[in-house]
Amino acid sequence: MQGRGSGFFLRGRGPRKNRCPEKAGERAGTRLAMELLCCEVDPVRRAVPDANLLYDDRVLQNLLTIEERYLPQCSYFKCVQKDIQPYMRRMVATWMLEVCEEQKCEEEVFPLAMNYLDRFLAGVPTPKTHLQLLGAVCMFLASKLKETIPLTAEKLCIYTDNSIKPQELLEWELVVLGKLKWNLAAVTPHDFIEHILRKLPQPSEKLSLIRKHAQTFIALCATDFKFAMYPPSMIATGSVGAAICGLQQDEDVSSLTGDALVDLLAKITNTDVDCLKACQEQIEVVLLNSLQQFRQDQGDGSKSEDELDQASTPTDVRDIDL
Amino acid sequence: MSEPSRDALPIPHGSKACRRLFGPVDSEQLRRDCDALMASCVQEARERWNFDFVTETPLEGDFAWERVRGLGLSKVSLPAGPRGGRDDLGGGKRPGTSPALLQGTAQEDHLDLSLTCTLLPHSPERPEASPGVPGTSQGRKRRQTSMTDFYHSKRRLIFSKRKP
Repeated sequence: MQGRGSGFFLRGRGPRKNRCPEKAGERAGTRLAMELLCCEVDPVRRAVPDANLLYDDRVLQNLLTIEERYLPQCSYFKCVQKDIQPYMRRMVATWMLEVCEEQKCEEEVFPLAMNYLDRFLAGVPTPKTHLQLLGAVCMFLASKLKETIPLTAEKLCIYTDNSIKPQELLEWELVVLGKLKWNLAAVTPHDFIEHILRKLPQPSEKLSLIRKHAQTFIALCATDFKFAMYPPSMIATGSVGAAICGLQQDEDVSSLTGDALVDLLAKITNTDVDCLKACQEQIEVVLLNSLQQFRQDQGDGSKSEDELDQASTPTDVRDIDL
Repeated sequence: MSEPSRDALPIPHGSKACRRLFGPVDSEQLRRDCDALMASCVQEARERWNFDFVTETPLEGDFAWERVRGLGLSKVSLPAGPRGGRDDLGGGKRPGTSPALLQGTAQEDHLDLSLTCTLLPHSPERPEASPGVPGTSQGRKRRQTSMTDFYHSKRRLIFSKRKP
């Protein structure tokens, strides 16, 4: 867990990097604007990617070996929960994603928090009135694990409209930690993205756009319970596949398409080709639903532009044409 | 210090994300459930490590516990800050603190005690054993400001067999 101290150290020393991966895909004019914008809103500095980790295949193999350990133990709506329904998970997930986006959390925070939530719910029957508190606790933990400046308990309580107190959040933090056996460093789909991308024959200037879309898909998957029991590597592989396929329609981002692409992706993460295809299709369905939901929200017309910015779907999704 | 912080990202006024999702929350029920769950965590830890973390008593089981006084840990390796991230790494010991924690300032006697476990080499189980991180730290209680006295227990595995 990274304390404030070490976080500060990193920010002070590390070169600023890649904070707006989208910029590579933009035209020169917007590019400059993005740069400026990024400098203003994001003071977080980060270290360069560690080539020793990314270019060593043992890391990928180890991730594949241990990822199963962090999956929820069962499909808990059937066997554990009596009060909580699947739509409630979606509600709390959507709320968590909004908070993470508004607070500009690192991409991994939201999927990691959802992993904690699912693992907790797979073991502990919970009344629905506790669900938002649990969501807040899981964001609290995931943010502490992944961020140099974590979310505070006070802020999270405000996001629950003060329905919980910081003290309660801290006490439940211990409960969740206990039930997760303090096993917080779960593998998430994000852990696989760079390993997958570097093995694709894409021109490097396309990679950042593919990465950005894949990250959006991963967040989308985390909001949907269908994906909760899938290995993170499969979600990552499916997300990259869906990203490339989606982008391919607009511009030539890949020399590989269709089955050749799926075969290569499946090989990288040892995923079964048919499972991968199914996963990618499910991702596309979820994206479509989410876009429709967004258009409905937009269609009711009464919202200001500000409110639209905080729509429940990841903002990037709107830019994607299927 | 001009440390950049999330406070630079205040919650936007009238943010749509500030909302309660499932109606009013019953604090009393939260408290009861929290107590019950913490108690079950304590029980699980008790069975897992054959150690009663509330009374600090070793129990029958796979692990041999011994109390060590005046261990040679330097101050540096103890949690330094009054609160914050490191405190949260109390490891498997944490469930034992629950009664103290839940009753607020009661049980002050637990404040100054600490249990440090050293997992002696036990190769086949190493990766599995690490998630428990019982040995990493000794935060007994949140907001603890000082630690004047502590226990050191060395844990040794007698049997190589481990409960799953």
